[in-house]
Amino acid sequence: MPITAEFEYEKVKTWRDALALKSAKGSAAKILAGGTDLIVLLRENHSSAQMLIDLKGLPGISGISFKNGVLTIGANVTFSDLIKSQTVKKYFPALWEASQTVASVGVRNRATVAGNICSAVPCADSAGPLLVYDAEINLLSENESRKVPIEKWFTGPKKTAMEPKEILHSIELKYPSSKTACAYLKLSRYEGEDLAQASFTVTLDCDKNYKIAFGSLAPTPRRAYKTEKFLKGKKINEETLNEACKILETEISPISDLRSSKEYRIHMAKVMLKRALEKAVSRYYKGIPHYGEGMIE
Amino acid sequence: MKLKIKYKEEKKTVQHSDFDAVGKNMNRVDGWEKITAAARYTDDLEFGPALLYAAAVESPYAFAKIKKIDISAALKIDGVLKVVTGKDFPHKFGLYMKDRYVFADDTVRFVGEQVAAVVAKTPEAALKGAAAVKVDYQELEPVLDPVKALDKKSPLVHENLKDYPHVPWFFPQAGTNIAHWRKTRKGDWEKGFKQADQILEDTYFVPRYAHCAIEPHSVIGLYDESGRLTMWTSSQSPFTQRNVFVGALEPFGIKHKDIRVISTYIGGGFGGKAGVSMEILGAALAVSFKGRPIKLLWNRAQEFYNTYQRQGVVTKIKMGATKEGKITALEYTLYWDAGAYVEYGANVVNAAGLSASGPYRIDNLKIDSMCIYTNLPPGGPYRGFGYSEFLFGLESHMDRMAEKLKIDPVKFRKINAISEGDTLPYGAHMNPTGIQEAISKVEKEIKWGVKEKSKDKNKEIGKSLVCFWKSPAMPPNASSSAFIKFNEDGSLNILVSGMEIGQGLLTVMAQIASEVLKVPVSKIRVETPDTDRNPYEWQTVGSHVTWGCGNAVKRAALDAREKIFDLVQRVYCIDKSDLYLESESVRCKTKPNFRLKFSDFVINGIQAEDHTFKGGPIMGVGMFMPEFASAIGDPETGQGGHPNVHYTTGAAGLVLEIDKESGKMKIKKAVLAVDCGKAINPDLVKGQIVGGMLQGFATVLYEDMRFDEKGRLINPNFSDYKIPTAKDMPEKVVPIIVETPQPDGPYGARGVGEHTMIPCAPLVANAVYDALKVRIKSMPVTKEKVALALFSK
Repeated sequence: MPITAEFEYEKVKTWRDALALKSAKGSAAKILAGGTDLIVLLRENHSSAQMLIDLKGLPGISGISFKNGVLTIGANVTFSDLIKSQTVKKYFPALWEASQTVASVGVRNRATVAGNICSAVPCADSAGPLLVYDAEINLLSENESRKVPIEKWFTGPKKTAMEPKEILHSIELKYPSSKTACAYLKLSRYEGEDLAQASFTVTLDCDKNYKIAFGSLAPTPRRAYKTEKFLKGKKINEETLNEACKILETEISPISDLRSSKEYRIHMAKVMLKRALEKAVSRYYKGIPHYGEGMIE
Repeated sequence: MKLKIKYKEEKKTVQHSDFDAVGKNMNRVDGWEKITAAARYTDDLEFGPALLYAAAVESPYAFAKIKKIDISAALKIDGVLKVVTGKDFPHKFGLYMKDRYVFADDTVRFVGEQVAAVVAKTPEAALKGAAAVKVDYQELEPVLDPVKALDKKSPLVHENLKDYPHVPWFFPQAGTNIAHWRKTRKGDWEKGFKQADQILEDTYFVPRYAHCAIEPHSVIGLYDESGRLTMWTSSQSPFTQRNVFVGALEPFGIKHKDIRVISTYIGGGFGGKAGVSMEILGAALAVSFKGRPIKLLWNRAQEFYNTYQRQGVVTKIKMGATKEGKITALEYTLYWDAGAYVEYGANVVNAAGLSASGPYRIDNLKIDSMCIYTNLPPGGPYRGFGYSEFLFGLESHMDRMAEKLKIDPVKFRKINAISEGDTLPYGAHMNPTGIQEAISKVEKEIKWGVKEKSKDKNKEIGKSLVCFWKSPAMPPNASSSAFIKFNEDGSLNILVSGMEIGQGLLTVMAQIASEVLKVPVSKIRVETPDTDRNPYEWQTVGSHVTWGCGNAVKRAALDAREKIFDLVQRVYCIDKSDLYLESESVRCKTKPNFRLKFSDFVINGIQAEDHTFKGGPIMGVGMFMPEFASAIGDPETGQGGHPNVHYTTGAAGLVLEIDKESGKMKIKKAVLAVDCGKAINPDLVKGQIVGGMLQGFATVLYEDMRFDEKGRLINPNFSDYKIPTAKDMPEKVVPIIVETPQPDGPYGARGVGEHTMIPCAPLVANAVYDALKVRIKSMPVTKEKVALALFSK
């Protein structure tokens, strides 16, 4: 099915050109990287644009680098790139684990992590890992550059802190200072590619600091700070988990939609929190299950 | 991938050791074409730069009057050549009931219904043109619920129902939304309920489903300057399409001989490409634009909302049984959500109404199967043709009744299972059946009665066993025919119009001809039909072509053989009763040295002693029609006719592991035993069993069509309408073939294609109950429903 909407297409070669165009056109210019969201929306006339600015010819944003404990993911980096990266697997396994659940191989070969958070749907698979790793987003515009912490990034369903004149350049993650273990759990309707009905990302370290992020359970992907605070320093056992679930329930606000009822999301949020934490604890102390193994068993 | 298909060698109930081709696992005759990509599908066909493209203008409302259509803006778009609306096509059409227009006349009755179409030089221009057609509507209150549609105050989807022509076995109720009401009455059900020790009543719900064939519908039409209409369609029914086209295009004076329908290979049918759906637009547009081929290709969303959908149904069931386990009475009322047009779907309702007793002998029976118009997309044929839908409630009920009676549910089924000669719901008698053998084999394979424990403390394992039956649903005079022609080297071309829709029909036809004519399958070519060249076949639906078309091919082969024997008798003065065929030659019982190779005479004849030649090209002609069938019975009871040609029966079993917290289900083992009479090609039958079960499990575990309060389908895509992937396969599928010969089938064969999916929904619902004691009465049985049912228990 062809795209019938008409728009200009600019494949820019320099950042100067890209930012000048974006500055001039603002939200009428859409950024094209992987295109796995944008092209579908254009084809179905759910989005309109006067111009597409294609970032794929821009220098410096197609790679993953790891320097001084900081992982930098360029705007053109795809989920397949992340999955292939031994650095990501070794140092940021939650992101590596979540990347494997994004759509299908074909989509992962094109879809970018940057695009995933720019689309900013509540079920974005990369959001949870970026939240628990306290990512920072580097934005450029014609006259300035700025960093936005991930927890301030998602401002509403499909809404971000990015200004119309800005372009996302890269995402930075800091390697945790002590040993951690983590888990990414995704609830989906079947084993094939799906948008999450709910997702959980958790990490823990030697001081029993827990970080918990969830997706599809509120208007945006979020951290469960109250639950984290309650669990801090505590051992994971039935009692603490039950109490944590009660607190978690006050932090989520799921809706009923095509993919799941609110009731099932609430029920599963608690099941998933327990299983994610148990899995992370097991990984911390026993090293199993290996990363990438087992979702909602 | 964890799929393991265990091919069990079954002992044959009938041993035909003398078969050369029948009963053998021959490779598919279309295999090389498909794996080398030589096979062409409709959208692959090349028409050069003359090809034009079309796009439909669709209704945004479920129910509305069309006040005005303004095409002027569309015609101004660059590349747009023509806009066609309903005013040029005043004739209604339909397969069993004429209730559809080519384009909506003055009323639209479902979201997505075609109001007009645009012909353009490019697909882009056609889409832009379609978007530019302005239609003024007056919105009406839509009818979205089949039960509420029966309310006297409900709006009528079709005001003029009483005027619609239909087949004589339909009973529309004028002034209501009931397009057809099939009543089946047998015995005295009130007395039956009095005799019962237990009575159980409940309601079950089955939603609508989509076929989800990989290949969307596509059509190309060319109406040439001489008045010849050629249609290339992705279709299960080329001849039926031709016949429907003639009816709809009557004002243009187009006769059957003027229309040629060419059906290429198709990428999945499952009933969705039977009859005529979007193809009518291809025909109408071609006729509107002489001299240029016009292509219309449905996108995936249109595939969901404007072809046929499997109808939804609300079923109310009341069953009575004695404490010994004998069913004494059954009352079954089915309220079908048949959609905006029922020209095909009403026959699904009819089929269910004749057979909703399931494969059980029930002496006191009352079935009401009601075809109800709603403002949702048209319902129609879908693999199983109504049987999956009624079987969900019936087989769920069988387990529940057994529990009430404290009888093992498998034993309960064995007690009531139908046997040969039993009186069917409409009064005729049951054909030979191996249902008891099927039950026993499935019972053994799933180790029925042995409780299994999961290794995971969060999981429980449940088992279930259900029975099924199905008959082809077709007009009583649905017929098949075949031509067989020999080539110089003794190879054969078989011409049939049964469609290869993945099931392996072409291969099976080759095997049947091979068996009679002793020509190896590798020397037989069978191709997809062209109505000009190939002889008549009604449609490839209802699991009847191996049986019907197979009989025609067998007769054609026998006809060719007879012509060979006649010729040899005439030339060699050998009594033809002594002749037989062997290894591509004619042999003689009384003259062991006599051997006449086909390649020596089948085209050029046999040279006689006087040097003249006798004979000529050998051809065989065969036809088949079930001459015992009749659709006419008493409208109030259904008694008296013989609407169904035969029933194929079987049993299926399941071992299901369920996560008690998430509700997630994993099929550890799925087993299905089907009595196909004779497996002409056992591998293909097993393929049907595996494929059918997977499709069935998809409908019960994942698929779920959702409409909003305005009647708009909100998940016409695979993002939100889920069909399983390789990762969702059962761990093991065990196909079992049972062979109780069908007396009038080719080598004893009867239909098997649809049957393999119909038991799946109750299998899952019953296994969930067995494991967790929660009963899900509405499909699909998703993990969400299971978890919430368990959580709220």
